[in-house]
Amino acid sequence: MIRLEGVSKSYKAGPLALNDINIDVERGEFVFLVGSSGSGKSTLLRLLLREERPDTGRIWVAGKDLGQLAPWKVPYFRRNIGVIFQDFRLLPNRTAFENVAFALEVIGKSKKTISVQVPQILDLVGLSDKMGRLPSELSGGEQQRVAIARAFVNRPLVLLADEPTGNLDPETTWGVMRLLERINRTGTTVVMATHDVGIVDSMRRRVIELDHGTIQRDQSRGIYGIGV
Amino acid sequence: MAISVEYVVKETAGNLWRNRLMSLAAVLTVAVSLSLVGAALLIKQGVSTATSQWQGGVQLLIFFNPNAPTSEKRSVAVQLKQMAEVKSFFYVDRAASYQEFKRLMANEPDLLNAVTEKQIPPSYRVVLKDPAEAPALGKIFAGQPGVKTTEYNFGAIKTMLDLSSIAQAVIIALALVLLLSATVLIFNVIRVGIFARRREVSVMKLVGATNWFIRIPFMLEGLTQGLIGAVVAAAGVLGLQSLFNYAISHFGVKLLSGFVITSSDVIFTEIFVLAVGIVVGAGGSMIAVRRYLEV
Repeated sequence: MIRLEGVSKSYKAGPLALNDINIDVERGEFVFLVGSSGSGKSTLLRLLLREERPDTGRIWVAGKDLGQLAPWKVPYFRRNIGVIFQDFRLLPNRTAFENVAFALEVIGKSKKTISVQVPQILDLVGLSDKMGRLPSELSGGEQQRVAIARAFVNRPLVLLADEPTGNLDPETTWGVMRLLERINRTGTTVVMATHDVGIVDSMRRRVIELDHGTIQRDQSRGIYGIGV
Repeated sequence: MAISVEYVVKETAGNLWRNRLMSLAAVLTVAVSLSLVGAALLIKQGVSTATSQWQGGVQLLIFFNPNAPTSEKRSVAVQLKQMAEVKSFFYVDRAASYQEFKRLMANEPDLLNAVTEKQIPPSYRVVLKDPAEAPALGKIFAGQPGVKTTEYNFGAIKTMLDLSSIAQAVIIALALVLLLSATVLIFNVIRVGIFARRREVSVMKLVGATNWFIRIPFMLEGLTQGLIGAVVAAAGVLGLQSLFNYAISHFGVKLLSGFVITSSDVIFTEIFVLAVGIVVGAGGSMIAVRRYLEV
């Protein structure tokens, strides 16, 4: 589902953000990306979303060779990828329903489809009674659920999560993690960058640790690790 | 992947309304500048009609009686050929003169209806080596058999032509400066609009909205501003036309009696004004979209 071959990336006036990265992720895997700030996690996610391109190496995501992907095809590629962030990135002046509907509207889905799919997905994330609320009227965990609903409403093949629990308290965090697990069980590949030792240790999923742009370890059923 | 018309209309109207004061400034600037362009074109067209008899450096007109025999006209032609002061001359027959008359008198339908082609005098149009000779020559031919009248007030015509080209140049220069400001204003309105909607734009990119889907509402916003400004200017052009026509008939300026703006002139001017409005609106927003909406 995701493959990186010899991927390196550097920014102006800085050391290598990623150095000769090789990763292979199967369909339906759940992968934690761990490492300290600046270890290259976010850069890796941006490369997978083709927000940036590597200096060298090749990247395949959801069957597409990102190096060969024409710019005008990038939006269509992104419809197969869901993304969530630490800061949720919801539109503050739209309700939960409208936030999810917006994602469908702007890729040209019909009103009818939207009116069916949005309540379904909001029900799935447990917010069917709060569809009419604005983000400011929702708790952090609820906002992240809206963001997950928006990312998942198109049933993407891959879900990328950049520190999705970074702003949440431990209890809420578990709710969000259970939701991500459920999504993963539907066959969606999940790649989650995180700092949260507790989550990684208790979920026992594949762990890829980055340090200064290189892969420190790649371990199935791993824990966050010692000395990090 | 069809882009829904409803979405685009909603977004464009929403952007325009959110930015209404700046949009108004852009629209008014487009309107004023294009009104000036229209005025310059109307003046050019009017003057060109008014001076059509004098085109090609003609400085002397010799009109014959409508029924003057060919022999009398030939005698004038022979004299013209022998005169050292004459550079060249040509004959305008009754049919051509009638067409010209109709164009010149378009403002006065009563007169137009009263006069038939048979009453129209044919003429010789004479180009001289030295325009100053025109009055002297005019007087020589004025009394000759078959000659109805001669006209040689070319100096006044030249003054009118000169004044009108100066006026046109000044107006066009002003209009260009204003058109540039209009483009910059529209550019700025769109830039502010993109900034105000940066969250929406980033979400749209994230979920895979196509570039055109993101761009079109912004481009239409600029286009609409240009177009509304142009429509206001087009109305202004119609107003100017009646103002010119009123002024000329009301003050009965003899020299400007041929200053007629025909409806085809006006249609051309209107189309030109609308086209420039669209170009300015689309241009300003295109630059903003290219610069601030890159993926």
